Amino acid sequence: MNRSELLRVRVAFFVLGLVPVFLAGWLGWVQVAQAGEVQGRGAVPLRLIPATADRQAQLSESVPAPRGSIVDRNGVVLALDCETYEVRADIKVPRGVCRDVATYKTWLAQLVDDLALALSDDTTLADRNDARRHHAERLAKVFQREFKTASLPASGPVPKEPKELQRAELLVAGGVDVLSVIEALRRLPEQRRYATVGLHFLRSFRRDWPERALTHGLVGTTGTRWLKKEGGAATLETFGVCGLEATPELSPEAAVARHFLRDGEGRPYFQAPLPDMHAAKVLHSTIDIEMQRIAVRELTAQAERGAREGKVTIPKWGALVMVEIATGDVLAAASWHRDVKNPGAASFTPLQALFEPGSIVKPLVLAYAHEAGVLDWGHVFDCAPGSADYRERIAKLGRAKGVRDDHDCHDLSAHGILVNSSNIGAAYCGLLLSREQWNGYMGFFGFGKTLGLGLPHEPFGGPHKLSFAANKSMREFRANSAISFSFGYELMVTPLQMTRAYLRMLRGGKADLRLSRGLAIDGVLQPNGGETVAGGAFRPEVVDAVRSALVDVVSRDPKATGTYLHRDMLKELGIDLHGVIGGKTGTASSNVLIKDRGTVNVRNASFVGFLPADNPRWLAMCVLQKDDSAKFYGGTYAAPPVVRLLLQCQQLEQRRLLHQDSQNGSSGQARGITGTPEDSGWGRGAPETTSVGR
Amino acid sequence: MRWLLAGMLFALAVGLAIHTAALRAENARSRHRIETQYRAVWDRVSEFRRLSVQKLKEASPESLAEAHWAHLRREGERREGFAQ
Repeated sequence: MNRSELLRVRVAFFVLGLVPVFLAGWLGWVQVAQAGEVQGRGAVPLRLIPATADRQAQLSESVPAPRGSIVDRNGVVLALDCETYEVRADIKVPRGVCRDVATYKTWLAQLVDDLALALSDDTTLADRNDARRHHAERLAKVFQREFKTASLPASGPVPKEPKELQRAELLVAGGVDVLSVIEALRRLPEQRRYATVGLHFLRSFRRDWPERALTHGLVGTTGTRWLKKEGGAATLETFGVCGLEATPELSPEAAVARHFLRDGEGRPYFQAPLPDMHAAKVLHSTIDIEMQRIAVRELTAQAERGAREGKVTIPKWGALVMVEIATGDVLAAASWHRDVKNPGAASFTPLQALFEPGSIVKPLVLAYAHEAGVLDWGHVFDCAPGSADYRERIAKLGRAKGVRDDHDCHDLSAHGILVNSSNIGAAYCGLLLSREQWNGYMGFFGFGKTLGLGLPHEPFGGPHKLSFAANKSMREFRANSAISFSFGYELMVTPLQMTRAYLRMLRGGKADLRLSRGLAIDGVLQPNGGETVAGGAFRPEVVDAVRSALVDVVSRDPKATGTYLHRDMLKELGIDLHGVIGGKTGTASSNVLIKDRGTVNVRNASFVGFLPADNPRWLAMCVLQKDDSAKFYGGTYAAPPVVRLLLQCQQLEQRRLLHQDSQNGSSGQARGITGTPEDSGWGRGAPETTSVGR
Repeated sequence: MRWLLAGMLFALAVGLAIHTAALRAENARSRHRIETQYRAVWDRVSEFRRLSVQKLKEASPESLAEAHWAHLRREGERREGFAQ
C-alpha cells in the first residue's frame, strides 16, 4: 500500500469514524443538553425520560365486565350480555382541506356519507338506502354540533379559531355488532383521504332477553345512568330496574384494561391478550320457561275470550301464578293488562296488583281456627240467613251490613262451608278467633309482609290500617273486622302473597316463595335455600281436612262453587276433575280509586288450585279484575286457566320424565345459544359452540 | 491485513445494526398483524353472539308459528290468484 492509498483509507475510516461521534454527540445533545422537561401543549410539562416515551407508545382500552346471565330452571337463557362496539371517531381535518371553506365542507360531507354507508353495510336490513339516509342525517347533525360549522365564514380559508373547526371527537354509533358494518368501518381510515381520521372501537355490552315477551315482569329490565366519580368524571352505569335484573349480585364488576402499543402514526401493536376475567355470573332462576309460556298463553286467552265478538267486556288486569309446593319455587308468573301499549312498562300484576281476595281466604281461616283448636271440624253450623245461630252469633253484634250468601245454605260443617263457600259459615268460624289470634293469622300467612324475593316496587298490602287499631273496641272488631276477614275483605293482598299463604297452609308458616335457585360464580352454584322442611306446619289432619274439602269444591255437587268448572272442563277436555284437582273459588266486589275515574266498583274473580288432589305438588292461582258492571265469578272465569295450566304442567312433566321431549327445549327444537352462559365471549376469546338446554 | 479485518468488523457491526433494525421492524409488523387479527376475532365474537341470539329468537314457538302462518297466508294468496 503506497502513501496515497494509505491516505485515502485513513480519510475513509476517519469519515466513517465521524458517524459514531455524531451519534454520540446527538445523544448527548438530546439526553444531556436538552434533558429535563419540555412544555407540552397541556399545562403539565413533559419529562424527557424513557418512561415518557414508553407511556406515549403504550395505550390501554377498557373492557367492561359483563352483568351475567339469567337462566331458567332448565338452563334456558332468559337474559344475557351481547358484545357490541361503541364506535367513536377522532377526526383531524387535513391542512390542505382547511384552505378553503367549500373544500372543508365537501370533505366533512363526504366523511359523513362514507360513515353512513359503512353503518348501513348490513345485508339483513330491509331497506339499506333508508338506513343510510337515516344515519347520514343523524351524523350530519352530530358533525355540525361538534365541528361548530355554524361559525364558518361563507368563503375563504377556514379560521384557526375555534379549534373545534380543525378537530373533534364524536360518537359515530353505539351497539355496533354486525360484522360487515364493523369491517366497513375498520376499512374507512385506511383510505388515503381519511388518514387523519381515527376510529376507536370501544367494547361494551348490550343486554338481550331472548324470551322477552314472556318475561317482562319476572326477569325485568335494565337501565343506564350517568354516575359521577371522584374528580368530576362521569361514567355510564347499567343497573337493574325491576325483576330479577335488580338482583344486587348481578351488578357488574369493575372493568379491566388491556394494554397495547402504537407507532408514531397511531397504528396499534399487539402487546398482550386480555387477561382472563372472571366467568360471567349466572343467576339460576326458578322459572320454567315452558310453563311460563303456557301461563302467559292461558291468561291472555282467558282475558281476551269473547272480546273480539263483543260478547263480553275484558278485564282491567289479570295474574296467573304457579309454584312448586315442595320448594316454593315460582315456576310461572304471568301478567296481563288491558290497553297497554308497552308491556315492559306496565306493572307486574302477580307482584304489584293489590286486590281484596274474597272467598279464597276461607280455607286459610278455617285451617287456622282448626289448628288453633277453636273450631271443631265436625261441628255443624246453621248457616241459614236469619237462623237462631245467625241471630246469636252475627246479628247481635250490631254489624251495619248483614252477611249474605250467594245461595241459601242450611246446616253445614266446616267441610260444607268450604264446598258451598258460605260467607255466614266462614263468619261463624272467624268469630271463634280472638283479636290476638287474628293478628297471628295475618303474621302466619304473611299478609302485609314482603315476599322476600328481593324484587323492587313490591307493595305489602295487608289488613286495613284501622283493623287492629288500639282504640277499636273488641265488639267493634268482632262486628266488622273479624267477620270481614273471614271471607276476604278489609284485607289487600297480591297474587303472589295469596299463593304464599296457601303454600304456608300446606307446608308451614316458614315456607316462602323462591325466585332464585342460586348464583353461579366461576361455574360454582351457590344455592339459595329451598327444599327444606318449613317450620310451624299445621297438623297433618288439619291440612288433610282442608285439602279434602277443596277437592270436593271441584265436583258435580250442584251446591259446590266449582260445579260449573267441573261441568265445563268435562265438556271441553273430557276430564272428570273431581279427585284430580282441588281448589277454591273467590269473587269479591270492592271500591277502588282509579286515576281519572275516581272511586270505581270492581269485581275480582279468583281461583286457587292444586294438583294432584291427593298429594299436591303444584299450586296455581289466577285473579282477573273487571272494572265495569259485568258480573263474573271465580269458578267460571278465573278457574279455567288454572286448571288448564295445571293439567298442561303435568303433561309436560310426564313428557320430560319419559324423555320424549327435546333435551334442549320445547317442541323438538334445539334452542341452544352459542357459548355457555358463563362465557363473556371477549374475556376468554371466541366461545365454543355449546348448547344450553336442560 | 489488520485494516482489512477492522473494515470487515466495521461492516459486520453495520450489518448487525441494520439486521437488528430490520428484525425490530419485522417484529413491529408482526405485532401489528397479530393485533389486527386479535381485533378481527373480537369482531367475530360479537357477530357470533348476535347471530346466536337472533337464531334463538327465531326458533321460539311464537316466531315459528308466525312464520308458519305467514307462509300459509302467502300460499293461500298464491292459490287464490291461480284459481282466478
